[in-house]
Amino acid sequence: MHSVTARFWLIAATCAAPGLLNAQLNFDLAGRPVQVHSFVQQGFAYSNENNYLTMNTSEGSAAMTDGGANIGISITDKFHVGAQVYLRNIGQLGKWHPELDWAYGDYKFKDWFGVRGGKVKTALGLYNDTQDAEFLHTWALLPQSVYPLDLRSNNIAHVGGDIYGEIPLGKLGKLGYTGYVGARTFDPRGGYYYFSTDQGIPITSVSGRAEGGDLRWKTPLDGLMFGASFMDQTQDRKGVYTLAFLAGLPYDFVSNPQHTVANYFDFTHGSWHFNGELRKSNYLADITTPGFPGMFVWDGSDKGWFLSVAYRVSKRLELGTYHSRYYMGHPASPDPASNHIYDQAVTARFDITRFWNFKAEGHFMDGYGDIYSAHGFYSRDNPNGLKPTTNMLVLRTGFTF
Amino acid sequence: MRYLRYFLFTAALCSFASVAARAADVKLIANASVTASSVSADELKGVFLATKSSLSDGSHVEPVLLKSGATHEGFVKQYLGKTDAALETYYRSLVFTGKGSMPKMLASETEMVEFVAKTKGAIGYVSAGTSPGAAKPIEVK
Repeated sequence: MHSVTARFWLIAATCAAPGLLNAQLNFDLAGRPVQVHSFVQQGFAYSNENNYLTMNTSEGSAAMTDGGANIGISITDKFHVGAQVYLRNIGQLGKWHPELDWAYGDYKFKDWFGVRGGKVKTALGLYNDTQDAEFLHTWALLPQSVYPLDLRSNNIAHVGGDIYGEIPLGKLGKLGYTGYVGARTFDPRGGYYYFSTDQGIPITSVSGRAEGGDLRWKTPLDGLMFGASFMDQTQDRKGVYTLAFLAGLPYDFVSNPQHTVANYFDFTHGSWHFNGELRKSNYLADITTPGFPGMFVWDGSDKGWFLSVAYRVSKRLELGTYHSRYYMGHPASPDPASNHIYDQAVTARFDITRFWNFKAEGHFMDGYGDIYSAHGFYSRDNPNGLKPTTNMLVLRTGFTF
Repeated sequence: MRYLRYFLFTAALCSFASVAARAADVKLIANASVTASSVSADELKGVFLATKSSLSDGSHVEPVLLKSGATHEGFVKQYLGKTDAALETYYRSLVFTGKGSMPKMLASETEMVEFVAKTKGAIGYVSAGTSPGAAKPIEVK
């Protein structure tokens, strides 16, 4: 605990350095403006049943720390480059290992056409590109049916290129678009690896491609936006089984296909904020083992959605609630708790200053998904078996500069 | 019931009047390098939400905001359709995804006038009663 506390304060001090100097660190380099920003978040979670998100929440866990720092430089009025480093320790995830969150060059030819190249956050749904920045949101935890904290590395970024822009539609509003293609990024300290090891199919190597697009229609009604995203991914994963009778044998796991579709809306009016998203994934994979005839087809298809409402009571206080539902397409168990996760969350967000927020959030969950799906509830963390319901309190504070 | 209707009508009238007063209390100013003498409300919103970096006449513009205060809140609500907190969150979402920079934010209208006057492409706002100094006033159509 001592080393964890020391690491938290070291990270907090590092990320807070720009804030100690100024609200943000600005300077000029060769006559061009440079900005440095950072953030750090610390959370605490306690659940009455089931340990969640690899944290020991049933006994109360403060293993919920993350932070990042970025630098951005405007080379010209149209060309901007930047990079962000991020690290986290969430239960067994991250383990304080810093990673390059994003780093790219962005050239905006026109307001309706620009290009980005490098490691770019992927445009998918409402919050895919900001899901590791909870300080931007009302919630201490984003709806996990669509934005699972443990699995975010699967979709959060790609190494490649984007085209983007906003096209005016006259009286019909505006249409924002993004198209992208690139290599997928995988986190060896994320939930996907954690789950695979849990299941006796640890990952040795994995690669894949992602391509897709996102459209956002800002309607003529002020504050109302509708959007849709599509992503096609490939995955070629290799490893060596540690499962009972297959132990020591290699496997090859190839997605065929892996598609994700998201439909969403966002509406703000005065102090009210409503939004929601439906995400569907069609995910089949062919699993083969040299020397063994035949092929096993794994179906990881699933669906999730949420609806949320938030109200800003004052400059310092925002209240909100969301209902989130996740369904496994083909659960392995007939247990009725084994094919879904429902979550009703209630949140109070306090903006103590412009740079410091605190959230208190209650979760009332029904179901735990499936033991063969990594979605927050892991068999390794719940050796006595998973209970059908989980109530959880999450407290989270964050500093941004 | 009749008195309730009068009350609601009066409350609505007062709230409309207060919004109208806030809009009238804010005026736009720009650096002399900005050749346009007027901008549309849509253009203005695009500039301050970083979806537009130039006006229809081709002038490159850089938005400048006040950090806080009645003038700032009135501008943000009337022309950007957001609360101050929502606007801050919006800018941060650009900064922490690498898709934009935090705009210049100034503590007072005096600083605003001075900065806009000396900075090429700067466009900002002050209260109606504040002199624009060497900055040029811009009409919002």
